[in-house]
Amino acid sequence: MIEFQSVTHAFDDVLVLDDVSLTIDDGEFVLLAGANGSGKTTLLRHCNGLLTPDSGAVRVDGTPVEDDLIAARSSVGMVFQHPRDQFVSATVGADVAFGPENLGLERDEIDRRVAAALAAVNMAGRGDDRIDALSGGEQSRVAIAGALAMEPTHLVLDEPFTGLDDPARRSVLERLASLAADGTGVLLATHDLRDVCELADRVIAMRDGRIVVDGPPANVLGDLDGLDVRVPSE
Amino acid sequence: MLTYEPDDTFAHRLDPRTKLAVQIGFAATALAHPTPRALFVLSALAGLVMAGAGVSLRRTLVAYRFALLVLALAPVLSGVTLGAPWFDRAAATASGLASYRVLLVLLVSAAYVRSTPVRDSRAAIQRTIPGKPGQLLGIGVALVFRFLPVLRGDLRTIREAMAARLGTERGAVDRASTIGMLGLSRAFDRADRLSLALQARCFAWNPTLPPLAFSRADYPVLVVAVVLACSAFI
Amino acid sequence: MATNQTSVERVDDAVVRSFARAAVLAALMGAAAVVGSIPIPFSPIPVSLGVLVIYLMGLYLGPVWGPASAGLYLTAGAVGLPVFANGASGIGVLVGDSAGYLWSYPIAAALIGLIVHRGTALRDLRSVRLPILVGALLAGTIVIYAMGTAYMAWLLEMEAWEAIAAGALPFIPGELLKIAAAVAIVRAGRITSVRP
Ligand SMILES: Nc1ncnc2c1ncn2[C@@H]1O[C@H](COP(=O)(O)OP(=O)(O)O)[C@@H](O)[C@H]1O
Ligand SMILES: [Mg+2]
Repeated sequence: MIEFQSVTHAFDDVLVLDDVSLTIDDGEFVLLAGANGSGKTTLLRHCNGLLTPDSGAVRVDGTPVEDDLIAARSSVGMVFQHPRDQFVSATVGADVAFGPENLGLERDEIDRRVAAALAAVNMAGRGDDRIDALSGGEQSRVAIAGALAMEPTHLVLDEPFTGLDDPARRSVLERLASLAADGTGVLLATHDLRDVCELADRVIAMRDGRIVVDGPPANVLGDLDGLDVRVPSE
Repeated sequence: MLTYEPDDTFAHRLDPRTKLAVQIGFAATALAHPTPRALFVLSALAGLVMAGAGVSLRRTLVAYRFALLVLALAPVLSGVTLGAPWFDRAAATASGLASYRVLLVLLVSAAYVRSTPVRDSRAAIQRTIPGKPGQLLGIGVALVFRFLPVLRGDLRTIREAMAARLGTERGAVDRASTIGMLGLSRAFDRADRLSLALQARCFAWNPTLPPLAFSRADYPVLVVAVVLACSAFI
Repeated sequence: MATNQTSVERVDDAVVRSFARAAVLAALMGAAAVVGSIPIPFSPIPVSLGVLVIYLMGLYLGPVWGPASAGLYLTAGAVGLPVFANGASGIGVLVGDSAGYLWSYPIAAALIGLIVHRGTALRDLRSVRLPILVGALLAGTIVIYAMGTAYMAWLLEMEAWEAIAAGALPFIPGELLKIAAAVAIVRAGRITSVRP
């Protein structure tokens, strides 16, 4: 469970998160929508302590994030925009192993997790492939596998579809749907809700650092006008 | 270009630490003994090393052609005098022998390069250099390997864009500073994204190290390395 | 959740940020060694931009992470990544004819960083006065060529003037050009060494 309690955050005196309170349960599939600059990225980076609140608190499974960063970062896996710059190794398997290695796990356990994470993103048996030889969609999926190998309860993705063509976008979405079906919570920031709404349990929308919409997709799609969000037609 | 090539030679099966030790021992004794007799023995040894790693002499010479140019020029420069006798045979010979030992060291290191994947070198660094420096150097080598093609692509794009906009007509300082500035800012953008990914994946000082183990073939080769290193002092 | 997390010694976030920049600049140095040369007028030798990256390491990473980045570059080349001039690699290059230049890089980056930042905390480069900036870059360049030619003379049993004639004089115009380029980059002020 990820909890925000009256979180504020300012950059250079500009308030970017303004009294944000929010609870995300395990297994929930949540979309985070909002125009560019509305504070989505800043909010996400509080979930695993990449940023700390100026006031208020963020808790993961009841523990304040800054009290145990390792626990927060292994419970909340995170994938950013531009997966190409997020790889630490030139080959797929070595890269996915990076997180579990940092946790100090036994080699057998690391190998098991790498295989499972690659299978979960439809890249089983591709461990020896060179990252540079992969397509954009495959790179996104390997970046997701890198987070999954930490066996997180939540997977947080910041605009993961940037630069992907439609088939690649669908291949990533399909994997997210199957992860969610297996019980991993997903928090996905995007301003393009066209084909993700049917997967989501809940849509949250931000404007100027505040949460202005929060509810099941069916109930809130009408409230997204003027937020610069692409919504499904019909 | 000289790089790692998958193969099944004797050298490919050795532990990277053994191969590093041989190179260091060889370089030490070659630098200490620029005498015809020592160089004769070392030439034979270099030949053995190259055969053991399946290194092609011709390709290696081509790869090191710029260094060879300097090595060939040195004896000429040393020999030429500004007055009678115009050419000093003794000085040229001494310089020639000195150059030749450098060639031998280059050939031996080519055997390491051809037979050792970056993954093994990283493991050797992390397991040999103690503490934090070893961890940063090991992961750092993996990162350089990962980002080298990406940044080459960046530099190429920058140069092509400059050429397309009549860049060849601009002053050399202007061109160098433009390439430098664009290259640096792109590199820093990538680095800042990379650092988020490293943090999110719990980058640690004490990870599970990559597997590496000496085999029976390593021990006699290690003895050779030690003998070589000791012979530098006689 | 993972097991034995209590024993994980996390690398501090500030260290991770500096380390990532150092690693990527080491790769930039390697990329510049292969694709980064530009022709200059009246000289048969094209200017490699490699040394420009050493200047940038000292200026933008400072006296600790600048040399760390240069050292990482040397390590990467030693173990076989094609990062040395013209794509060469191997430990042999680190004892070969140009080894003096290579080993001078961390020292030059440290020296430039120390002069410009006056300590280990990074200053805003826009506040550095021009004579200090140029002086730091000249000092770094002198270290590079002094070590480069001295080692070459010793290794190849050449006289000092022979090594200087072969290993320094032809490169002077190119070095001045790179110093001017580094100054222009700093003066443009678009890139910051101090992170928000
Ligand atoms: N590191 C930073 N320093 C200063 N301002 C920032 C920083 N990161 C984000 N901002 C500002 O915070 C606001 C919200 O940004 P962000 O959270 O990235 O929004 P979104 O992800 O919704 O586009 C923007 O106005 C942005 O300029
Ligand atoms: Mg964003």
